[in-house]
Amino acid sequence: MRTICVWFPDWPLEGMPDDAAGFVYEEGRASGGETERIAAANQLARQAGVTIGMGRRASEALCPTATSKARDLGEETRRFEPVVASLEDLVPRVEVVEPGLVLIAIEGSLRFYGGEDILLDKVTGTAGPGARVGLADGPFAAHWAARIAENEPNVVENTVEFLSRLDISVIDREEMIDTFRWLGLTTLGALGELPRAAIASRFGEEGLRAHQLATGEDRPVNPRSIPPHLAVEAHYDDPLESLDQVAFSARALSARLMNDLRREGIAPHRVEIEAESARGQVRRRVWRSADPFLEYSLTERVWWQLRAWVEGEGVGGGLVRLRLDPSDLSGRGRQLALLEQSEMGWEAYDANRPEAERALHRVQSLVGPDAVLQGERQGGRVPGEQVLWFRFGEEPAPAERDPLAPWPGATPGPAPALVPPEPMPIDIEWEGGMPHRVRLGARWEQVVNWAGPWRLLGRWWKGEEAADRYQIVTSAGAFLVIVRGQRTFLAGIYD
Amino acid sequence: MLTALAQPQKLPIELAPGKIVGLEGPAGLGLTRVGLSLLTAPSQVGTVVVVDARGGWFSPLAAWEVGVKPSRLVVVRCSNPKLWAKVCAAVLEGVAAVYAEVPPGVGESELRRLAALTRARKAGLALRPLRGQLPAGITHMRLQGRAVSWEGPDMGHGALTARQLSLEVSGKSLPWQELQATA
Repeated sequence: MRTICVWFPDWPLEGMPDDAAGFVYEEGRASGGETERIAAANQLARQAGVTIGMGRRASEALCPTATSKARDLGEETRRFEPVVASLEDLVPRVEVVEPGLVLIAIEGSLRFYGGEDILLDKVTGTAGPGARVGLADGPFAAHWAARIAENEPNVVENTVEFLSRLDISVIDREEMIDTFRWLGLTTLGALGELPRAAIASRFGEEGLRAHQLATGEDRPVNPRSIPPHLAVEAHYDDPLESLDQVAFSARALSARLMNDLRREGIAPHRVEIEAESARGQVRRRVWRSADPFLEYSLTERVWWQLRAWVEGEGVGGGLVRLRLDPSDLSGRGRQLALLEQSEMGWEAYDANRPEAERALHRVQSLVGPDAVLQGERQGGRVPGEQVLWFRFGEEPAPAERDPLAPWPGATPGPAPALVPPEPMPIDIEWEGGMPHRVRLGARWEQVVNWAGPWRLLGRWWKGEEAADRYQIVTSAGAFLVIVRGQRTFLAGIYD
Repeated sequence: MLTALAQPQKLPIELAPGKIVGLEGPAGLGLTRVGLSLLTAPSQVGTVVVVDARGGWFSPLAAWEVGVKPSRLVVVRCSNPKLWAKVCAAVLEGVAAVYAEVPPGVGESELRRLAALTRARKAGLALRPLRGQLPAGITHMRLQGRAVSWEGPDMGHGALTARQLSLEVSGKSLPWQELQATA
């Protein structure tokens, strides 16, 4: 999808003097173990060696006379709101990533404006000085096109080729970047040339995502099915007029939305915020995040947006309705439905522990996604057929065997807890057509009882032999065995 | 001697948060199903994981039968003893309870670290060594399979219906006892 990115690198610096070095810092991990890092630096600070992402103390050491201030995203959003509104006059549904960074999907507007160049000129003109503009396929490539752009818009015709030249650090996954560099993969192109299955097997979902970005696929290829009607809305009989009331309502509604989404095991990449004033004025704004929104990150954005509206043009008569409509949902989000509070109560369980999904993705990166599985029941006559396995985090494929069909002749009794991946040969001594002894390792165990046989006709038209199933009980346990011709196979252990 | 007649989930054994239960004995004595029944309660509140160290032998059918919620059961296949402890530690960071088969070759120090992590994370952990026994002092409760007998089959007639387990139960602040249960 052709996307324009408009980026104001110096947006956080608004109000700082140009004739002296200055930078803005924010909370966040930086090199050297610092917990505050540089979010933006003006030209004089940059000339002194200050770079974005550098720790605050290190920057102050480099540039001790610089003016500095903490980042205030709410204030930045308020200042940014008129810019977004004017861009939205050109193209509807502009997506705000953060103050100073917007994405605009332009496919629907190209015919109206008559071409990319004309639209790009209009966007550049509307954004005004200080904006860097990039155009490419998808938000990720467009963002990096804007990052590289100088005074002129950077138009990327061949996105895959453009991405292939970018440094591997653009994937923004510190732990993987070091490994990729160690493996000699210094560009996205080098990463994209590797087989996707190998990357997914070694690095799990995060690796898969990096490979998708490297090959120009900006969205997960295997999204979950998304239930409709997930938007949440709140009506206020007494219009909310103070910022405190608005903040509280933003937090409450964001929490409600994320709770609903958690039950579905999904999270949104985009959320449309819609607010209605007592005088009937309706305002909408779409916020976007490259990573799925979490509760706190969504709450922040809703709050910034409402604050921008309230402190900007004001909300006439107070806020009477607030609606959050999630879209671009994916299963990459948290799966806290797996961690819901108990209806049975497992005492002392700490519901605030890190999410299960994150832990299991870490495991996927250790053992590969094919070794972290979930199962669903499906039809079949032997236990090995009755489980439909699928990778954790993905949707199961349609069942090969209808679980609701009657399946006459299915193996009776409890299911064996251990089922070999393929039936494995086992030695059984027979006497007079009845099982007499079973060899378990080096020793023979006497059969103390047995049930069966249950005939399994097999798909004869596919060349499958008929077989008989027996439940064989010894003093060492019970076993499900299949006799096919003269051969006997272990099909399960009732452990 | 304590005698109890109970369904598997009614066995008078629980996997509480932060506790470790050891299940020792060869396959066939019914310990897998006992271990899975320990995951029933935690699966009502969070994700539970089975670490399959036998190379894909674990069947979730038995877990579902004892009451583990299918949507909350995840199976991790790892039989590499060099990787196993890392995998278990990663899982314990985020899930409610784990039933882990311990492959031969896992060191005592790794098991002790896992035990400490289990207590710190307030997860539940059931350990099932595939060979030998667990080192002393790791588990809060140790169940050793002694014998199993099955009801149902009758020389070709009938089918397996229920089993009688004989287990030895011991542990911290627990007197040794023998437990028999129908499961």
